[in-house]
Amino acid sequence: MAQWNAPSLIAAIDESKGMTEKGFTFLDRDQKELFLSWDDLRTESMKRAAHLRKYGLKKGDSVAMVLPDGEDFVPTFLGAVWAGLVPVPLYPPLSLGKLDSYKDTMVSVLNKAEPTHLITLSKMQQVLWAGLTHVKSLKGVITAEELKAPAPEGVSQDPAQVTDDDLAFLQFTSGSTSTPKGVAVTHGNLRANAHAIMVDGLKTDSDVDHGVSWLPLYHDMGLIGFVIAPMFHKVQVTFIPTLAFVRQATLWLETIHRVRGTITFAPNFAYALATKRTKPEQLAKWDLSCVKAFGCGAEPINSNTMRAFVDTMSKAKLNPHALLPCYGMAEATLAISFIGLDETLSTDVIDTDAYQKHRAAEPVHVSKLTEGKAQEFVNCGKTFPGHEVGIFDDEGRRLSDRRIGEIQVRGPSIAKGYFRDAEATERTFGGGWLKTGDLGYLANGNVYIVGRKKDIIIINGRNYDPQRLEWLTDDVAGVRKGSSVAFSRPGPASEELIIVLEARTASETETEALKEAVKQRIVEQMQLSPTDVVVCPLGSLPKTSSGKLQRSKTRQQFLDGTVGKEGNRTLGSNAEKVVLARHVAMSLIGRSRHRARRVVEHALEVRSMSDALSKLRLAGDYVSTRLTRLF
Amino acid sequence: MATVHIPSLFQQAALEVSGKKLDNLSGATVISKLGLDSVAVMELVAHFEEKLNIRMPDEDLAKVQTVADLGTLVKRLMPPGSEVTW
Repeated sequence: MAQWNAPSLIAAIDESKGMTEKGFTFLDRDQKELFLSWDDLRTESMKRAAHLRKYGLKKGDSVAMVLPDGEDFVPTFLGAVWAGLVPVPLYPPLSLGKLDSYKDTMVSVLNKAEPTHLITLSKMQQVLWAGLTHVKSLKGVITAEELKAPAPEGVSQDPAQVTDDDLAFLQFTSGSTSTPKGVAVTHGNLRANAHAIMVDGLKTDSDVDHGVSWLPLYHDMGLIGFVIAPMFHKVQVTFIPTLAFVRQATLWLETIHRVRGTITFAPNFAYALATKRTKPEQLAKWDLSCVKAFGCGAEPINSNTMRAFVDTMSKAKLNPHALLPCYGMAEATLAISFIGLDETLSTDVIDTDAYQKHRAAEPVHVSKLTEGKAQEFVNCGKTFPGHEVGIFDDEGRRLSDRRIGEIQVRGPSIAKGYFRDAEATERTFGGGWLKTGDLGYLANGNVYIVGRKKDIIIINGRNYDPQRLEWLTDDVAGVRKGSSVAFSRPGPASEELIIVLEARTASETETEALKEAVKQRIVEQMQLSPTDVVVCPLGSLPKTSSGKLQRSKTRQQFLDGTVGKEGNRTLGSNAEKVVLARHVAMSLIGRSRHRARRVVEHALEVRSMSDALSKLRLAGDYVSTRLTRLF
Repeated sequence: MATVHIPSLFQQAALEVSGKKLDNLSGATVISKLGLDSVAVMELVAHFEEKLNIRMPDEDLAKVQTVADLGTLVKRLMPPGSEVTW
């Protein structure tokens, strides 16, 4: 069995020279195949690198990519990496409307990444370009078609020289978050995580294994898991267009059956969708016994969905060991833990009372589940050699086995930080551990995720910022401003969105109309349909002393069935008002201090004498306006 | 010659895909306001394509806002002489 040890993605592309038998196969919507061997991919990378260099792009420059089809995306991404550029993959506009909100998200991402060029298809160019005039850094659009042309003369096709610490690409998290954060992934991170996934986790053999993926390539699981890691370890992959999968979910399993796929990954919702859409005649025809890993990650794993999938697909000879729950996130490049290849899906049933009161994961008998006194969590396996997972309490103390706290990770896969965001980087990556924002526990080294500490909502594999959903809710006439809470709860098959809000309604009809209006607003703006909208009396939702709504407490009350019934929250006594005033003052001072520090830090990065003078002037102006506003 | 009434086909598709009963659809109905999530919308598109034996290009779909927009797109993609109404 061949061992692959390329020191970087560029070296992995380079060692593809002469390997013409295997590589990547791209299916289009009509199932037509385009095969690019490892050798072809190397040639394409070199050619595209030369084109990009001709545009003046050089090592370290970021370049945005909006390319929906794998056959354009993959060689272009690899070509950009070959030239030492920092590609910024972005999701293409999705169907049926919402072009405006898409453009807003694009603009905020691009203003963060500051690319000089955007690579896209000529037919998408006009759809996109109109919205991008707000991106100052952008000088122009490069079309995928141009990059396919023969390499320009007189431009170097040599690989860039990179070190482990050099940036390889920027991974912006999917979905709509109001302040986009780009994970800065280095070349060292890519090598480490590719090894963890392909060698430690999946024990791949390039002679035998065959990946099948419909995952979007602008998403970490699709890009790292099925382009970068397979390129490092020379595992052939067949790519299905994402939209083709969404249009027709069974195409995924049909393709696995046809090409004898051995490895595939998808979020929980895809397993639910595939189970729902599969017809008996397909089950009778398919032979899925070839698959050794049906990986499941990227959103909370629902054990019922997984069991239903195994049950249904057992008729298509699915090996029950093949189901592979895993845990990961873009900040850790991709993978953090997998269960073993020979292990079956397993869950841990713990006592609800001990969990809620003492943050302890005490195992109890399965029968307690039906009595509603227990909760079930999926075993997400162990982390990889060279990596470490720790559980920490709010004071930063490390917890022992079966104690619930924040999951933190360290090791060579942990990214450098967030691109040009020192504050967020310190918060999440500071102190040598990646703070995942997930709550969970360890038992015998296995990771169990119980929920989110951060309030990010993950539905259908996309991240939603609860604040954005709450703002949308606040816009609806009749909703008390600043008194709505968005969160998710596990549904029968996947996560469901719940909105809880405060309003004064006169009748049942009025309440129903308000619920409907909120649902409309969210669907319209986010293409996400709330499963339930709960209308509570004014002042009944839990808030902190500074008047901030407590999402996790509201969520817990909702799950317990006590939301809106806890009596009224009032700001009565003077003592409380003093506490509130002090809190507001402290937070204002803290914020301006922080901003001032950032301005000074920025000013210290001086390139010339005139630069220094203008920055000092700016800093002075900034501090004085902030102080005037404060006092 | 094929005759297609977009709102009826849309209603039928939504019912099959997500079990949702949609009433009072007209050309002016904005699709994103119908309470369908993004996965359901794509499944719906697939349903249209299958029923009408057409292919709707992704870049055209991005510009579709209303039932009438969808009708215009379908009309363009159907064989000449087909009657498409909404």
